[in-house]
Formats: sequence, structure tokens, C-alpha cells
Amino acid sequence: MQNEFFGIGKYLLAHRRQWFWGIFFVLVSVGASLAGPPLIVGRAVDALRAGTATTGLIVQYALLILLTALISSAATFMMRRFLVVASRQISYEVRRDIFENLTRQDQNYFHNNRTGDLMNRLTGDLNTVQEMLGFGISQGSSTFLTMIISLGLMFALSPTLGLVTLCVFPVIASILFFVIKTIGKRHVAVQEQASVISAKAQENFSGIRVVKGYAIEDREIAEYKTMNLEYRRRVIRLAMIEGPLWAFVGLLMNFVFIAVLLIGSRQLITSDANARFAGLTIGQFVQFTTYLFNLQWPMLAVGVMASLIQRGASSWQRLQQILEVQPAIRDSDRTDNSIQSVAGNIRFENLSLSADERTLLNNINLFIPKGQTLGITGRTGAGKTLLASLVGRMQDPSSGRVLVDGHDVRDIPVSILRGNIGYVPQEPFLFSDTIAENIAFGLNESTQVEHANKPDFETIKWAANVAGLAKDVEDFPAQYNTMLGERGVTLSGGQRQRTALARAVARKPEILILDDSMSAVDTETESRILNELKTVLEDRTVLLIGHRVSTLRYADQIIVLENGRIFEQGTHDELLALGGVYAEMERKQGLENVLEVDEEPSSTVLKAEVN
Amino acid sequence: MREEDAFKKQFDWDLTKRILVYLKPYFWVAVGGVGLSFLIAVASQTFPRLLKTAIDQYLAPAAGSSFIGLSVDARLQGVFTIALFILGVASLEFVARYAFQFTLSWLGQNVLFDVRADLFSKLQRLPLAYFDKNPVGRLITRVTSDVDAINQFITNGLLTLITSVFVVTAVLFNMFSLNWQLALIATATVPILFFSARYFQTKFRDSYRDLRIKQAIVNTSLNENITGMGTVQLFNREARNRRDFNNLNSSFLRANLTTVHWFSFYFPVVGIISSMALALVIWYGGGQALQNIITIGTLVAFTRYVGNFWQPLQDLSDVINNLQAAMASSERIFGILDEPESVADKPDAKIFETGFKGDVEFKDVWFSYKAVGEEVLPTDWVLRGINFRVKPGESVAFVGATGAGKTSVISLISRFYDVQKGQVLVDGTDVRDLAQRNLRKHVGVVLQDVFLFAGTIESNLRMNDPEIPIERIVQACKYVGVHDFIASLPNGYQTEVRERGATLSTGQKQLLAFARALIQNPDILLVLDEATANVDTESELQIQDALAKVMHGRTSIIIAHRLSTIKNCNRIIVMRKGKIVEEGSHDELLEKGGYYNTLYRLQYADQEMTV
Repeated sequence: MQNEFFGIGKYLLAHRRQWFWGIFFVLVSVGASLAGPPLIVGRAVDALRAGTATTGLIVQYALLILLTALISSAATFMMRRFLVVASRQISYEVRRDIFENLTRQDQNYFHNNRTGDLMNRLTGDLNTVQEMLGFGISQGSSTFLTMIISLGLMFALSPTLGLVTLCVFPVIASILFFVIKTIGKRHVAVQEQASVISAKAQENFSGIRVVKGYAIEDREIAEYKTMNLEYRRRVIRLAMIEGPLWAFVGLLMNFVFIAVLLIGSRQLITSDANARFAGLTIGQFVQFTTYLFNLQWPMLAVGVMASLIQRGASSWQRLQQILEVQPAIRDSDRTDNSIQSVAGNIRFENLSLSADERTLLNNINLFIPKGQTLGITGRTGAGKTLLASLVGRMQDPSSGRVLVDGHDVRDIPVSILRGNIGYVPQEPFLFSDTIAENIAFGLNESTQVEHANKPDFETIKWAANVAGLAKDVEDFPAQYNTMLGERGVTLSGGQRQRTALARAVARKPEILILDDSMSAVDTETESRILNELKTVLEDRTVLLIGHRVSTLRYADQIIVLENGRIFEQGTHDELLALGGVYAEMERKQGLENVLEVDEEPSSTVLKAEVN
Repeated sequence: MREEDAFKKQFDWDLTKRILVYLKPYFWVAVGGVGLSFLIAVASQTFPRLLKTAIDQYLAPAAGSSFIGLSVDARLQGVFTIALFILGVASLEFVARYAFQFTLSWLGQNVLFDVRADLFSKLQRLPLAYFDKNPVGRLITRVTSDVDAINQFITNGLLTLITSVFVVTAVLFNMFSLNWQLALIATATVPILFFSARYFQTKFRDSYRDLRIKQAIVNTSLNENITGMGTVQLFNREARNRRDFNNLNSSFLRANLTTVHWFSFYFPVVGIISSMALALVIWYGGGQALQNIITIGTLVAFTRYVGNFWQPLQDLSDVINNLQAAMASSERIFGILDEPESVADKPDAKIFETGFKGDVEFKDVWFSYKAVGEEVLPTDWVLRGINFRVKPGESVAFVGATGAGKTSVISLISRFYDVQKGQVLVDGTDVRDLAQRNLRKHVGVVLQDVFLFAGTIESNLRMNDPEIPIERIVQACKYVGVHDFIASLPNGYQTEVRERGATLSTGQKQLLAFARALIQNPDILLVLDEATANVDTESELQIQDALAKVMHGRTSIIIAHRLSTIKNCNRIIVMRKGKIVEEGSHDELLEKGGYYNTLYRLQYADQEMTV
């Protein structure tokens, strides 16, 4: 337990005032509600029985009941204000801290931890922890205090009856313990079967083509049915012990009540009913049975608390993993904080990268002087994107170095390095925000625009223009304030890529990486954009990843990657002359153009062929 | 946003009636449940009366009552009798509760089972187009959490309503039969409670709605940031996104605190109102007891009764909310059940018991993925007037660029979709006049990526037909050359397929797909033969060999990407943009120097060298 909760202490401690006052008010509330009404009713009964009651006294008792109720209610109110609020605040703080730590993690982390899993932890697990802290602590302390105070008062009323009650406690507790343990096991069995059913549905829906193709719908229905029958069986098995738990506790408490009634009545009846000395008065007996009755919920709550804490602990562990993880890529001792700018000379030096015993990049040596454009091409999986990702330190190489302006990138402060890079991925990630905000995404705080009419709107418009996006945007009713994503417009693949291009260009970076960033844009538009970009690219270092020879040909040098190696290297003309992979690419793309062009004649061919 | 919609749904009587239909098969069980609930209400409210009897007759008989003269032994005897009574009633109550809870789960689970079975069977009948439109995740939600909401509707909603009404009635009956004046006084605060409960419930509902919306916003933002963290980091936006997220997180916390606020008021208020009732009972009842109008026992019984009906009253005011919550889910479920089965069998659908000769003909087929009857825009057409005929035993290769419509041709032969214009004929019969299952049983589809179900290799090859002897399976596997591989697995044909065959190589999976098709012995074979990457030369040759063997002697329609396959076919049909542009043998088409010639040079010429 100690270990499991390690780390949550920090959050608990920060709210210690709230916990203290919260538990104080639990004490007041429980105390008032136990010492109040049951005692007063008992006194009233005794007074009536003894004939000492007067109308005034009765009114006094009624008012006292109201008074204690007010005190208890006020304390309950305060208790929630302290305890439940603290649990919500802690949940907020944990969410905040996890988010903060996630922003520090490198790409590897997100590669190894799927979004769905992280989301599950941040929603389900955090909720369980919040439940444990809020409901758990408030109910737990009130349960505990109710038991202690009730038993204390019961002993004070009648040690014999108190002892009888106390004797039954371990019996009830052990039975409950056993039952709750069995419930836990059966609950797991139900959950497992639910997963099996979900998996089956998932399999069926994803493979519906095969299901229909082989006409095995009936088998699928039958299998699904069998799984559901099993599920039903397990739920009912669980219901057999879980369902009547409350009733069961009620039954056990009724047994105690019967014992108390039999023993108590003997005390009551044998010691002259009206006697004020020795034994029990009828009012005290009523008071005692009220306490007994009130103990039902706490008995059950103990079990609920136990499972709440158990689940909370395992959830907390999963959260703690996210809170504690340290990124591999970050500023460290070797970071040279005197580097405050980047000019853009890139050098890859004996660079290799491997993962899972596979070599992804193999001994790359390359120099790209400031202002030049490097074209990178090669098959899918050849390592093009990886090579580019090393420049912005999205990953670190396994051996060798990436130098920018002669500094190992690991010596440059990450924010300075990335601040000078504009990256346009093939499948850009845009945020559900306005187009303007998306384009201004990488602009510094000070130049950040809130509304389209701010001065920096010019930069946004300029970038959109350069990226060939301006026309599209002007067609939207809300123009640059158009929302993107689920709640707004859905951009086409080409529009998304151009938005990402505008976003990168808007930063006016020293190094621009275009990672197959116009694959969804047709060739014609691409060359128009490139034309527009020319002035922007001129004095910047550009890594241009692509498949189209028509684009690559303008690069100062071109490399063809294959299996992580530089396979061919040279200018467009040199590579054509070489007659290798690049030349073959050029030939095929030429043919493709032919296919594109002879559009119309085909219809006449069709008629001739078919008839 | 979906989250918001879920709360807009109001209580809907028509939907409720449809849900209740699911209770019909279990009508008598449901009636039994109601009976049990009645029994529980009566039994549980008997205890205060028994206590009253014990007090008034034996523990503290009033001065004027006939029990005052009883001997100590007789009084003890009387208490003992009452204890026995309590034991009896307690046991009865426990048994009734147990039976009730069990009935409740049983009912809920059976309804859940039936709804799920209906839903799943319905989904199996829905056309493929439905699955194209609806992501798997959404469908899974329907068969899991939405179905569960209906279960909750019945168990937590309807039966809580009935139970609460019974308990309240039983309490009122007991109070009024004991002393109607005191009963009136005791229930004086009921209207206050009821209205304040309603007031708070509205507040809860509103604040919960707000909370859920805020939570959805936080989760969306989390999801977006986790997915796009790479972009965030590249653009140095960590700090700003942290701040933005924190704003959302804070407003989520505020929404959380609002609900805490209302809840922290609610319980104390209910507590005070219920204590008011107790105070009134003590004041008025005490006064009456002073005048000996009521006995002490009655007064004590009343103090119990006033405590007993707050919970059911609160449940009652909450029940409408519970019912409402299920509305959105049930509407979505019935939405699926009401979905038209657009690709359905005709009542007099033909069945070819012994299979087909294998004659396939397309007559002026126009097809788009729009539903039949929907307006089709000129750009929506996938097939534009296709005519061809494949004679029994003939093999035809379809070639063309991506998007030419080849896959659609295959889908139409299995009648996964219906055509808009023209006819697809198998053995001279329109596929729309055939029983779908029968058609598909005799049409074997080999997809490029074999879909493996959870189960053994054997069950995946057998696909639902228990009559296929294992010898034939082994024979088929030997024939396509995958037997040796299967035999080398630890459990041979009984080896469990893990993670949908993730541990198998691409080549092995392809061979399994061929074996699977061969075992079904289809009359018409449809093959989607994508050029598979990452297959070594040996496997490649094996695949080609297997394909040739499977095609042998049966009508085969192949979407070919392998030159060897194309050459193996009797005929080649060249498709382009939904039309057939050329037809003939490989050599004829090459000779012609048309579209196929270009396509050949672009896609297949490389293979000429390797094969």
C-alpha cells in the first residue's frame, strides 16, 4: 500500500487544511446526529413513561431535535465543502501536471503509448482516484466515526447489550469479507466475458466482408449468442451474491436486534419497569435500537470502501507512471545556453539510427550549406522522414551526429533549435481552432493573433498566399476565422497540407523541412506553389522530401535513400545521367503523364470495343 | 458534439413502449418481481409495528392497558413471541429481497441478451454499405453501452419506480392506520421535501450537463494534444498549449465544484426536512401521548416511519432522470433495428442447391456507392455502363489504375451492393433474384489480406462447415503448399490464431487464403491479388503456383497485379475510370499499343525481369 500511494502524498499534503477541517466536520456531523435525535427521543419516551413529561418539555425536546439536526446538517455541508472540493481540486492538479509532463515527452513515448491508453488513464483512472479521495474519505471517515461513536454510546447505555452487539461484529465482518471477496472474483469474471464479447463484435464488424463473403452470418450469430449466454450466466452468478448483500446485512442486523430485544427486555422487565436505577429504561432501549439500526450502512460501507481503495490504488499507479516518466530528449548539462540563434548549415556525420535491432539509417554523411535545398527521395520505409526528424531532434541518432552550424544538435537548446525549423509533414496535424490560429500556430507569443484584424494578420495572409491557400480560405464564409475540425469545416487532404505549409512558412524559419508535404496536391498546383515559395526558399536551408521528379529537380542536390543508406546522390542532371533509380522514376512519371493526358480518346475506344 | 445531444433527449413514451416490448416474453416473471417488491414493502414496514406491540404490551405497558397486570414470565414470553415474529418477518423479507434482486438481474440480463441478439443479427443482415458508413467503434458502442442503458432503464428505472411507490404506500398505510392525525402531521413536510428534491434535481441535471460538456471539451483537447504533441513540440508551443489546456481544465474544475456545491446543499437540506418531521412527531405525538391518546409504542413506531420514506421519495424524484438517460441510447438502438435492409432477399429468391455452372455476365452496369434510389451525381459513378461475360471455366484478369472500378466489379458479383442500372447475372439469373447466402456460398472471394478469426487454423479454413472432412482440408493445404508450414506449428491445425494472424508472414497468410477458398470449392472464384510487398522470391513463386492451382477448372475473375497471373488468364479486361477500354489476350493487347501497353510498361515490365 505504502508504495502504491507514493506520490499522491504531495497532493494530499497540499490540501491538508481541507482534510483536517473536513474530518473535523465529519466528527461534528456524526456526533450531533448520533447524540441528538436518538437520545432526545429516548429521553422523551422515558419522560412520558415516567409521567414527568410536560407540554413544555415535549416542545423543548422537539426544538432540540431541530437544533441538533441543524448542527449536523451544517457540518455535513461544511464537510463536503472541504473534502469533496479537495478531491476535485486534486483531480484538477493531477490532470494539469500530467498534461505538463506529457508536453515534455519525446516522440518515442507517444509511439510506445497509444493515445487511447493515455486517454483511458486520464479519464477512467483519474476518476477512480477522485472517487477514492472524495467519496472514499468523506464516507470512510463518517463510517468509521459512526461505528466508534455508536458503539461507545451503546456501551454507555448498556454494557451487556453493547457486548452482544460487539460480539456479532466480527461474525458479520468476516462473512462480509468473504462475500465481498467472492463478489470481486465474480466481478472480474463478468468483466472478462464483457471483453470477449466486445472483441467478438469488433472482429465481426471489421471482418464483415469475409463474414458475408463466406455466408457465415449464422455461425457468427451463434457464436455471439453463446458468448452472451455465458455473460448472462456470469452476471447472474454475480447477482446471486451481490444483489442481496444489502438485504443480507439487514438480516444479520435483525439477528442482532432479536438478541438485543431478548436480553434487553429481560433487563427491562425484571428490573421494575419504572425504576430509574439499575438496568435499562424503555427510552434507553429505544435509543439503543436506533443506533443498531443506524449501523447497517456502515457495516456495508466498510466493504465498499475496501474495494474503492483497492481500485483507487491501482489507478493511481497507472497515473503515477505518466507523472514520473522522463523524456530522453530534453535540455541537459551539455546544453550550451550561449547558442541563441541558428543560421542553418546542416551536417550529418556518420549518422546511424537503429531501433528494435533494425538499422533504420546507416552511416549517413552529408552537408547542406545554409540556403541550399536538399531533395530526398526513396521508397516508403527507406528512412526519409527519419533523417529529417533528426534535425529537429524529434529523435536522437544511435551513433554519429547531426550538426547545425557546427554544433551538435544535442548541445543546442531544444527551443532555439526547433524555433528555427519549419516542418511540414505529409499528414499534417491541424488543431480544432480557426484557420488563422492554425497558421499562426508557431508564431511567438507577442506576434500571436487573437483576431483577424490585428496587425499580424498580414503575416498570416502572406503565409497563406505563399502556400497557395489564400484562395481556398477566401471561399469560406468566415474566411480566416473558419473553424477547423469536428466542429467546423473538414479540409481536403491538399488543403490540410497547404495549411501546414502556411503554418511552417509563417514562422520564417531558417530551416524548412517539407516532408512529402504536397503529396495530396496535384502536380499543377504544386508547381504553382513552388513558384510562389521560391522567394521564401531562397535564403533558407530546405530539406525537400518527395516522389515527384518535377519537384525534386530544382533541388541543389538530391539523394536517393534505400534501406537507410544513401543510394544515389547528385544533381538532377547527374542522377539522370547515372541511369539508376532516380532515372527510372523520371521515366515512369513521364509515362504517367501520358496516361493522364490521353483522357478523351478513351470514350471513342470504349464504343468501338464494346459494341 | 455528441455529448450534448445525449442530454437533449426528452422522455419519450413511444420509445418506452418499444422497450417494454422486450419485457413481454418475461411477463409473468416481471409480475412476480412486482409481487416480490410488494412483499418487501409490506414486510419491511412491519418492524416498527412489531416494536410498537412489544413496547405497548410487554416492555412498557401503559397504566390503563390490559397488559399492565401480566406477570414477568408472561411478559418475557410475550417478548419472545414477538422476537419469533421478527425473526419470521426478517427471514421473509430477506428471502423476498433475495428473490427480487435475482429476478431483477435475471430480467435485465435476459432483456439485454435479447436486445443484443436482435441487434447483432440485424447487423449481420445489413448491407456492406452500412458498414462503410459506420465506423466499427460506433457499432461496438451500440451493442455494448447503449444496450446496457436499456437494461438500466428497466432495472434501475422502471422497477425503482414501482418499488419506491410500494414502500411509500406501505409507510403511509401503516402511519395512517396507527393514527391518522399524527400521520397527517408527520407527512406535513412531504410536499416541502418533494419540491426541494425536484428543485435540486433540476440543478443537478443542469450542472451535470455542464460538467459532461466541459469534460468532453477537456477530453477532446487532451486527445488532440496527445495526438498532435509532435507538432506542438516542433512549433515550441508547449507552454502555450499548457496554458490553453489549463483554462479548459480550470473551467472543468469550476463545473465540478458547481455540482459539489449543489450536492453539499442537497443532503443537509433533506436532513433538516426529515428532522423537522421527527420534531413534529415528537411535539404532536408527545402531546398526544401525554393525554394518553396514543401509546408510547405508537410514538416510537412513528419515529421509525418518518425515517423510512425519505429515501424512496428521493428515488422517485430521481427516477424520471434515470429513464431519460436511457432515451438517447434506445433511440440509437432502434435506429439500427429500423435500418432498411436494402440488399435483401426477395421472398421467392432462387436457390441453386448444387451450385452454379459459373457463367457471369454484366449487362450495362452502372454503379455508385450511393444507396439505390438516392440521387447520383455524375462524379459519383464508379462503374459507367459495364458489359462483359465470363463463360464457365474461363479466367479473366481485370487490370487498370487504382480507382478504375475493378474492386467494385468483384463486390457486385457477390452482391455486396446493388447496382443502380443494368444487371449482374450469374448463370443467367439476376443476382437480385438469388438467395444471397446461397450465392455467396458458391462464390469464393480471396482478399489480399486474409482475415483470420479468433480460433484455430482449422476453424479458419473450415469456415463454419462442420461437414468438411479434415482430410479435404489437409489435402487443400498440401495442394497450395501451406501444409508443411501448418504441420510445423506446435499444435498443427489446432494451433490458435493469435492477434488475427499477426505472427504469420504475408506469404503464409496469402496461402491460407487460397486454401480457405479451395476448401469451399467455389464455382466462381474472385481474387483480389495485390502485389504483396515484403514477400521473398520463394514465397512469391509459391503464391503464384497456388493461385494457378486454385483457378484451375473454375470461373475465375482476378484483379491482377502480378504479371504471371495476368498471363495465366484466358482474357484480360482493361478498365479505366469505370469503363472497359480494352479487352483481349496479353499479347494482343501489347501489340495494340494502347492503354494496356502503357500500363504494362508502368506496372508490370519490372516483373518481366524477375519472373
